[in-house]
This record gives sequence, C-alpha cells and structure tokens, in this order.
Amino acid sequence: MSPDTKVRNEVSQTNANSLRQFNHQLGSWTRQFVRRPGANRGAGRMVVALLLAVTLFAILNPRVFLSPINLQNIAVAAPEIGIIAIAMMVVMLTGGIDLSLVAIANFSAITISTLHTAIATTDPDLANNLGVVIVLAGIAVGMLGGAFNGFLVSVVGITPILATLATMQIYNGIAIVWTGGSTLYGAPAMLGAIGQAAVANVPLLFIIFLVVAVLVAILVNRTALGRMIQLEGANPVAAQYSAIPRRAVLLKTYTVGGLLAGLAGVLFLARNPTASADYGSSYVLLVIVIAVLGGTNPTGGFASVFGVVLATLTLQVVSSGFTAIRLSSYEYAIAQGVILITVMIFDSVSSSRTKRPKKLDPQLPSEASPTEAALLRP
Amino acid sequence: MTSMTTSQPPTPFVSARGISKSFGGVPALVNVSIDLIPGEVHCLAGENGCGKSTLIKIISGAERPDSGEIVIDGVSHAQINAHAAIQGGIQVIYQDFSLFPNLTVAENIVLTAEVASGRRLYSPGSVLPKAKAILQELELDLDLDREVGDLSVADKQLTAICRALVNDARAIIMDEPTTALTHTEVSRLFALVERLRARGVALLFVSHKLEEVLAVSQRLTIMRSGRQVVSGPTSEFDQRSISRHMTGREVDESRVVSDLDLTAPLALEVSKLSLAGAYRDVSFGLHRGEILGVTGLLGSGRTEIAESLFGVTPADEGEIRVGGKLVPIRTIQDAVTARIGYVPEDRLSQGLFLEKSIADNIVAASLESHRTRWGTLSRAGIATTIKQYFVGLKINAPNAQAPVRTLSGGNAQRVVLAKWLATAPTVLMLNGPTVGVDIGSKEEILELLRVEAAKGMSVIVISDDAPELVAACHRVLVIKQGRLTHTLEGDQITVDTIQERMSA
Ligand SMILES: Nc1ncnc2c1ncn2[C@@H]1O[C@H](COP(=O)(O)OP(=O)(O)OP(=O)(O)O)[C@@H](O)[C@H]1O
Ligand SMILES: [Mg+2]
Repeated sequence: MSPDTKVRNEVSQTNANSLRQFNHQLGSWTRQFVRRPGANRGAGRMVVALLLAVTLFAILNPRVFLSPINLQNIAVAAPEIGIIAIAMMVVMLTGGIDLSLVAIANFSAITISTLHTAIATTDPDLANNLGVVIVLAGIAVGMLGGAFNGFLVSVVGITPILATLATMQIYNGIAIVWTGGSTLYGAPAMLGAIGQAAVANVPLLFIIFLVVAVLVAILVNRTALGRMIQLEGANPVAAQYSAIPRRAVLLKTYTVGGLLAGLAGVLFLARNPTASADYGSSYVLLVIVIAVLGGTNPTGGFASVFGVVLATLTLQVVSSGFTAIRLSSYEYAIAQGVILITVMIFDSVSSSRTKRPKKLDPQLPSEASPTEAALLRP
Repeated sequence: MTSMTTSQPPTPFVSARGISKSFGGVPALVNVSIDLIPGEVHCLAGENGCGKSTLIKIISGAERPDSGEIVIDGVSHAQINAHAAIQGGIQVIYQDFSLFPNLTVAENIVLTAEVASGRRLYSPGSVLPKAKAILQELELDLDLDREVGDLSVADKQLTAICRALVNDARAIIMDEPTTALTHTEVSRLFALVERLRARGVALLFVSHKLEEVLAVSQRLTIMRSGRQVVSGPTSEFDQRSISRHMTGREVDESRVVSDLDLTAPLALEVSKLSLAGAYRDVSFGLHRGEILGVTGLLGSGRTEIAESLFGVTPADEGEIRVGGKLVPIRTIQDAVTARIGYVPEDRLSQGLFLEKSIADNIVAASLESHRTRWGTLSRAGIATTIKQYFVGLKINAPNAQAPVRTLSGGNAQRVVLAKWLATAPTVLMLNGPTVGVDIGSKEEILELLRVEAAKGMSVIVISDDAPELVAACHRVLVIKQGRLTHTLEGDQITVDTIQERMSA
C-alpha cells in the first residue's frame, strides 16, 4: 500500500478508499496474470485484446453490437472455428501443422448428410433414430482422415505442411467428386435441435465448445500423451533420447486433430443442415492465426487452450463488430492481419524487455564520434 | 606498442571494471573487475553458476551490465555491442559454441570474420584455404565440408575454437573450450595458446579442470556466487587452494569404492557385440551395484557402444542380457523397457528441453509411471518426484518452474541425471557425466552415483577424465579403435595407468 493512500484515509473517504484498494488488488492480479511465463502469456494478452475489442465496438455501435441477436450470433459462430483452431493448436504443439482440418470437417459433414439422406429416402424415422450412429460415423471419418495424416507424417516421414497440403487436396477432391460440387441438404433432426438449443440463454453449441476446450486442456496438460506432445515439439531429439515413442505420439496427435475436425463438421451441420465441399474455405488460414494469437508457439512445445478460446472469441467479436459498423469481410481480413502483427510486436517488445534489452534499444556504434552519436540519438 | 620496458606494469588490452549484473533481481555478478593483458593467459575459475559465462558475455557485448565499465585499448565503454567487440579484436569461444548447424565446418570457421569485416559478397572460393590453414596450424583432422549439425560434440568444439583463431584477434576468450576434448587435442590447443601468447594476444580461459588451469595460465581469478574471491599470479596457487577458494571447503577427490557382491547375478552382460565401422567383439559384465568406467580416445567407439546398449544405433551382432535375460535392443524404447537409462554426451541438444521448466524435464522420461487409474497424470505423484530430485540433487535455481535454459552447466547436468534417476533404472549409463561441472559438484555427482549404486543400481561411466574414473569406478574398460583392449582393476586404477593405456 502506498503512503498517499494512508493520508487520504484520514480524510475519511472510506468508500473511495476500499474501491481504490480493490482496484489496486485487481491491477496486481492482472499484472501477475499477464506476466505469467510461457504459454499463459497467450491467454494474458488475449484477455486484454478481447476486452479492447468488446469495448471498442460497444462504443462504436452499441445498439447493434450489444443486441442479444448479435451476441447470440457470436456464441453460435465461434464454436466451429474454435474447435478447428484447437485442433490446429494440438498439432502445432508437436511443431507440425495440419492444413487439411477444414477439408476433414467438410468430409465429416458430407458423410453425415449423405448417410442421413440415403437412409431417410427409404425410412425417415429410422434415419432420425440412427442419428447418433450417423454422427459418430461422421466423427470416425474425421479420425480416419487425421490418422492418415499422422501415418504420412510419422511413419512415412513427410514434412507436416506438405503431407497435409496433399491430403487437404485429396479430401477436398473426393468431397467434390462425391457431391458433384453441389450443396447437400439434410441432417439428422437431433443436430438441428442441438443447434437451436440453449441453456440459460447460452447456446448449447457454445457450451459444447467450452467442454471440448476443457477436455483438450486436460489432454494436453494432465496426461502422459499431452506432455509427450509438448516435449516432442520442444526438442524432438531430446524427446527421442527420453524414450518418448515419437511415431505413436505423432500418429495420435494427428488423429486427435482429425477427431476434433470431425466434431467441427458435426457443428457445421448443427448450425445449418447443409454440407458442401467448399464450406469454410476461409477458415484454413484463419485457424492458424487464431492458434498463434492464442499463444501457440509456431515451432512447437508451447500452447494454451484457454488462449486459443479467447483468440477465437476476439476474432469473432471483431468480425461481428465490423458487420455492426458496416465494414466488409475484406476489411475484416485486413484486420486479422493487423491484429496478428500488433500482437506479435507487443510480444517481441515485452519479451525483449525481459530477455534481450539490446534489440529494443540498439547500441550506438562504439566508434561513432560524439557528434555522430548525438545525431544518432533519438 | 613499441616500448618494451618491463619495469612498469603492463597495460591491459581489455579490462572490465566493477561489473555488476542481476537476472530478475537475483545477482549474478557483484562488482567484478578483471584485466586481460597482452601475452598473458588469465584463468577464470569458480563453481557452476558463479557467473563466469555472464562476465564473458558482458565483455563480448552479448549481455549488458547493470553497472561498471569495459575498457578496450584505454577507451571506456559503459557497455559494448557484439559487433564492436569483434571489430575491436575480441573473439569468444562460447560455452554452447554458438555455431550454425546448417552451414559447413569451413563456412562456420570463416563466416563471422567475413561478416564482421563488412564484406557484402560471400565467395565460397575464399573460404576453404583460410579454414585449411587454421586446421593445419592446430594439426586437426576435421572434414571441412560436413554440416556442423552432424558433428560430434568434440568436433563442434574444435570448430568453435578454429573460428575464434582464424581471425587476427587481439584478445581471445575461451569459455570451457576443452570440455569435450581428450588429452591430445588439449595439448595441441595449449601449444597454440603459447604461440598466440608470444604474438601478444591476451587470453581469458575458463575451465573446471584444475590441472589445465595451472598448466596454461599466468594469472588467476577465482569467483564464488558472483563475487571475486581472489586474483593473483597462478604460481601462487595449487589445486587444493584453488578448490578451497572456489567452494569454501576442502574437496575430497580420493578414491572411494564399495565392496561388491560378486556372487550375485550380473545386472548386464554384453557378449561379442559388434557394429560395423564402430566397434568389434566387445564383451563385458556389469555387477549389481558396480560403477564401471569406460574410457578411450575420441572416436575409439566408446560412445557408440553406449548408444548401442541404449538402442540409438543398435549393434549388428552379439547379445545383451539384462538380469540374465536375453533382450534384443533395437530401439530406445527397448532399452528403457529393460530399465537401461542413458545420460547422453551432448546434453544441450540430446538431454534437455531447454525452454521447458526444470520440473517438466525431470519427469520427461517417467511420464508413464505417473499415470493414475483414469489415465491422467498424478499431480501429487509428479510433485513428489520433482521435489525429491530438485531438492535431493541440490539443483540450484529459484524454483522448479524456472526454464532449464537459465541454469548453469552443472545444474543443467543434474537435471538430466534427475530425469533418469526418476525412471529407477537398473543400469544407468552416463556419457561424460561431469563434463563442464565444477569440482565441488563433480564430487557431489560422483557421490550421488555411489549412493545409487549402493542401493543396487549398476552404473557405467563413459569418460576420459582419469581422476574421475579413479575416484569412483570399481573397474575401468579401455577401448581402442573399436576393441576392448584392457580391463583395469583394483590397484591398476590410477590416473597414470589410465592415460597410458588410453593412448598407448
Ligand atoms: N538469461 C538468464 N536468465 C536468468 N538467469 C540467468 C541467465 N543467464 C545466467 N543466469 C544465472 O546467472 C548465474 C550465473 O550463470 P553463468 O552461466 O554465468 O555461470 P557459470 O559460472 O558460467 O557456470 P558454469 O560453470 O556452469 O558454466 C546462474 O545462477 C544462472 O542461473
Ligand atoms: Mg559457463
């Protein structure tokens, strides 16, 4: 407590004082949180970014932005992107990347829609009764897609970016051939119900997103597999020398990625009972942006699920905020880039302040004469 | 400098005066001053983490001091940058080498000089002759066209040495340049140091091997916990007084070995093991509780034997029995399943996850044994393990959450040791367990191994540090050109016999 708080105390501003004290405490908590090392930094800075974004749009156009429908929209649109971003995060933890996630999600949605329609043409009731089985089949297809990626990366040994670029084309191509390029209609009734349901005004989809996030956080931080995934990304050679079964870990990682993408495909259908091969094509790079914003180290080893959740919400808020102030999706794309660069600059400045002071404050060449030095000084 | 008057004290080329530096509030250096005088080797000695490398980084401009000044050639700088230091003629062999793994040996040796001299265009043609010349001067046999990433630690170290020497430096700073080198290379390096000294180069030399310190230097500065304890002419010190100043206590390097129960079944039995191009027909047994030394020159095959036993490069022929049972070791998982652990030679790249915390590193190899019924990790179990080794091995850090990157060499080595002890191995192999470790910690690490061995663990120590082998090993195997040539036992285990058998 600072001395001036004491002085003011005597002026008996007890109320204002306790408020100040609370504020002080809050400030130090936030500082501590934001300063926590490693992956938590992703979460810390995204808390700040999310608050900034919400405040900004709430001021610019409160009537539209703060309307229940808009908030509802954010909560319904965020989960599918968020889950793919979490999948991306898991894969990036190993130092890899998976470009095929969106293709896998579409593949899963198309599988479900096709199965449903095929059964529904003969027996609509049966199709709806088999809803759970059909959905599980879709998720299983996602897992298979992920497992194949894992096979290519771990057993065959292809660089992740190339392996998944190839499988993205393959999965996407098969989906186009299969659907003839058209949009499929029809999905189990239960999915539509899930898409509409809400618990205490919170859309069920959003709750599913949070549950998935918690489960993945447990997987990553509280299981042997999760720790191995992190270690593999932090230093593959040391991981090998620590008897971490590299192939199995990579195979499982990409399979988990596929599973999550398959689940995202289910959410696609829950929002809209249509499936097509080219849905969400803008997501492919967006989820990388989200994962990195959320504190995922692109070279592997560090990530925060909480950070990725917050980053998803931030970008969703910006997206809907832009709509609220009538900016186009192109301007939203520009904003994504700007946010990414801003956060990265913020990041390198704050880390160089603690680690490499030289970068922030470049030294004057020591041979410089006094006048030269004076000229160079800002 | 033309005057050769010997009466007045020699002017230092570089001096650091009153340097202080702290990391996150923890002082690493407190008011340290040191002079580098042309034609003189100044040794810096002190325990792990006492601040030697930090002082060097400040002199070379890689770190910024909190206070103090660096004087180069009479010009005072509050701090200098790395570029200016190189241009001013200061060359550094960093402890972690700081080489470019994807460039060739020749490029690594020559490139910094080219960059520092402001050359914009790089001509591959000019690289080879320069690099060749320095190899000849040091009588070294390095493949100049190989990528540095593929080299052994010793070769990386030699490359780093060559890089510092290829430039016409006026001051050369060597931060533990000999950790991975054997006797022969070290004597060649020292011969070169003498020549540099005659040319008037000022040298700063850091080593934990006290014989080296006494052999090579004229002046000595001893540090403890970031403070300068004593400075003076080397002739005024001997090994005992150095280690006393370093640690503040008497260090006992004498031979202590336990009695073995020779009737108990062998913990490890290796028969007629061969690997083409590395070693042939190697057979030996390892008793329960035994500490077995394996020594040999660089490239003798000693590391390859260990790596075969650990499944990194499986043997072509031969049998390995663990606890009397034949185990085919084809992968590292096979070895670990058979309860064999391995502390690798190159701890920075093979042993540690530098950016991860000490805690994460300690449990890295024993995750499976910390599972709960539900498949998650037992937090309590992990916390116990971490505490047991963080405290038990006296790892010196603010807490177990600190990244391993911030640890000094000896403490980093303890972390690797902790990782393997946590797996409760029956056979633990250590390749250069005390490389870069100060004598106080070295004694403590050897004592740790003795304690674990007394509890029933069998230990293989691969090392060319003869005093260390003498201090702890029941038997010493000598490997020469891929063959096991001598087995030293009992009274035969002396520093002289080991060195003689190794090179004879
Ligand atoms: N970047 C850093 N961040 C935080 N602490 C650091 C950093 N670099 C060094 N330290 C701390 O400063 C102290 C001095 O470290 P330094 O590397 O200089 O020791 P050293 O004498 O070279 O030890 P060794 O013989 O093991 O190489 C240690 O306690 C170390 O943990
Ligand atoms: Mg050091």
